[in-house]
Amino acid sequence: MFVGLQSSVYGGITVSCRSFSSSSIQYRVGCAMVKPVHHRIKIIKQLLSPKYPELKLEPNDIRSPKFKPTTTHQDRVVEHYDNTLASDLLLINYMHDQEDVVGNKRREWDYSSPYHINRPDRHPRGEKVPSPTVKARTWKNIPNIERITLSSFVKEAKENTGFSISAMLQLQQITGVKPRPIYAKTNVPTWKLRPGMQMGAKVELKGREMTQFLSTLTELVLPKIREFKGISNRAGDRYGNISFGLTPNEVRFFPEIEANQDLWPKTFGMDILFHTSAQIDAEARTVLSAYGLPFIGSERIPKYLL
Amino acid sequence: MFKNLRIGSSCNSINKRNFSSCLVLKNEVSNSNSLINAGILLSRNPIVTADMNDFEKKYYKYQEELSRRLMWTFPQFFYFRKGTLAERRFLDAQRGPVSKQPGVWFPKGVPDIMHNRERRYKQEIIIPREETSSTSGQEDSNSISRPIQPNSRITKSDELNDFKSLERKLSRTLYLVINTNENNIWKFPSFQLEKDLKPLHIVAEEGLRKLGGDLIKTWTVSNTPTAVLKYSKDKKLIIDTNSNDANNDDETNISREYLIKSHILAGKFQLQPSQNIKEFRWLTKEEIEKLVTPNYFQQIGHLLSNV
Amino acid sequence: MFSMLQRSQVASLVSRGKRTKSKDVVNPATQRIITQLSVLSAARKQPRLLKLCKEDYIKHLVISKAWSLLNKQKQTSQREMLQKQYDSIYKANEDLKKVNKFLFEEANKREQSKRFSLEMRVPTEYPPNKVWYYDYDPNASKNKK
Repeated sequence: MFVGLQSSVYGGITVSCRSFSSSSIQYRVGCAMVKPVHHRIKIIKQLLSPKYPELKLEPNDIRSPKFKPTTTHQDRVVEHYDNTLASDLLLINYMHDQEDVVGNKRREWDYSSPYHINRPDRHPRGEKVPSPTVKARTWKNIPNIERITLSSFVKEAKENTGFSISAMLQLQQITGVKPRPIYAKTNVPTWKLRPGMQMGAKVELKGREMTQFLSTLTELVLPKIREFKGISNRAGDRYGNISFGLTPNEVRFFPEIEANQDLWPKTFGMDILFHTSAQIDAEARTVLSAYGLPFIGSERIPKYLL
Repeated sequence: MFKNLRIGSSCNSINKRNFSSCLVLKNEVSNSNSLINAGILLSRNPIVTADMNDFEKKYYKYQEELSRRLMWTFPQFFYFRKGTLAERRFLDAQRGPVSKQPGVWFPKGVPDIMHNRERRYKQEIIIPREETSSTSGQEDSNSISRPIQPNSRITKSDELNDFKSLERKLSRTLYLVINTNENNIWKFPSFQLEKDLKPLHIVAEEGLRKLGGDLIKTWTVSNTPTAVLKYSKDKKLIIDTNSNDANNDDETNISREYLIKSHILAGKFQLQPSQNIKEFRWLTKEEIEKLVTPNYFQQIGHLLSNV
Repeated sequence: MFSMLQRSQVASLVSRGKRTKSKDVVNPATQRIITQLSVLSAARKQPRLLKLCKEDYIKHLVISKAWSLLNKQKQTSQREMLQKQYDSIYKANEDLKKVNKFLFEEANKREQSKRFSLEMRVPTEYPPNKVWYYDYDPNASKNKK
């Protein structure tokens, strides 16, 4: 396909100087046309060596040092979803004669110019960012919360690294999962920010830890916050992920911190991001409301979905 | 790109749908709105978690013990600063591990202690009790440190076997079924559509208020029906078969019942005397199976929750 | 503070060879960070590894297998039920479309901002003190406003 293209592009040259030497120039491309196939298979050397057999076990194997039991109690949130919410959401999202609505995607170049090769795809027509494709809702794609990410970015940490450690510990105390540090990516001399500075921490919750956090949040923390009216109906990334933030003072209502106020002279705000398997934000909000999260404000639903 | 605008229901998009094939039928049938009923599948959601069987209980216990065994040592130095009274009280409450002594034989293995914890076993932490309980008995019932006494999962209605109570079988989903005077059959409540057409879910909710009084709070799941039940002229349930030809012959005489799903959230369901109804009950799936006809259960069984 | 300074001066007088600062004087802020880091880290806090004998290991495998089978059964029955529900919704709508156009359109209107009621709670392990709220009055909240 590309060869044919080339000959049409360089057609003029071919005619003007047709010799062996120029033909070799003609077919030479600036970049590799074939994707390299070398080093595709990742070799885990650890698995090849006979040393440390216990490190080669799966983490869910009881003999492995990584083993951590997860199903330690009945998961009432998941149970609630299975018993009640799943079939309700199936009915709510049902629309007769549904078909997939293809989103506005990035467009391929037509390769009329040699510079099109390896160039990033064009913007979607009339827009800057692509919009999601919405598939017909069936019993196979009933939306649910998949995971929750908590992240706390501490501005003051650039002067005092201790703050980012405190933020990390705060997340660990609230969730019971070990957080990861987050680092600054950009260089902003006026803010004295440099890449590589530790600026806070984040943690990703799944499974029982997630449901535990979710029920603490909706049943203990949010009802205590007076100013909290609900998550904004405008929040969301269009692909069904909703986020909102808690200020340092609101974080104090988490029972782990509330019970030890004197240990926490300073608390840190955090962003809570709900990753759902919903296809659009409106659906994601319906799912979250089922777990007792209130929403406030007017909702905008993309025109092509109405 | 957007030629398929069919999610949603503005009039335009609906007109685009192909109705020509069923236009004739529509005119025939829509004259007789009295043959369309809106049924309601009213449920009370479980209030407590599902009952566990023996295996589940034991498995959770096993996993819990494993996780306690593999837990990190409690960072007591973080919660109780060194040299404070709180630390002293905490340490006094703990049963310290047996430490290693030279020249002593330990029948259960040599102790391996780090940070005041026996590393071979799970760590048991005893929280020091506040000593306010000794003052008087009355304060005890209100103090925060009193022992937690959970309410019973089995209520009075369970003991009396009161089918009309919403407080029975807290761990199960209950559904409202009624017994009509006409033919002494148990079924979900259903209401006939009137001449001025209203959407099905509104008819169902209004009918429910007429049946059980205004003082109930319900939440309609969706305006879409979950199922349809068809009755022949002599009020017999038609079992749905894949061959439509048989049904099409007397399409005009078939009465239909569209089931709308709803949850009851609060309030008192009181049977209104004006209604032509003998009895109502709040029942679980298994109890409904015993009460209704097998044909009926075959068509609605999958709509009912197992828990 | 003053007394400590004096002591250190005295110490320097007594032992001349000592050049490093004495270890026990740590800035309280630094000490707090050290404590926090040691809460976060696994160092000196991990228990011994589990060492199961062969019999126990096989028992564990059997238990885990039984659990996963039970879970699988639950999941398949759940999926089958949802599939049946979907089919029945489809059939009902197909039927409604034939019977009455108006009702069909109303039934398939997309509800704007559909939210679950906040009264729908996640079940708890034990019931609340007041199991069911009977005194609901739809007109009461309207009158208040």
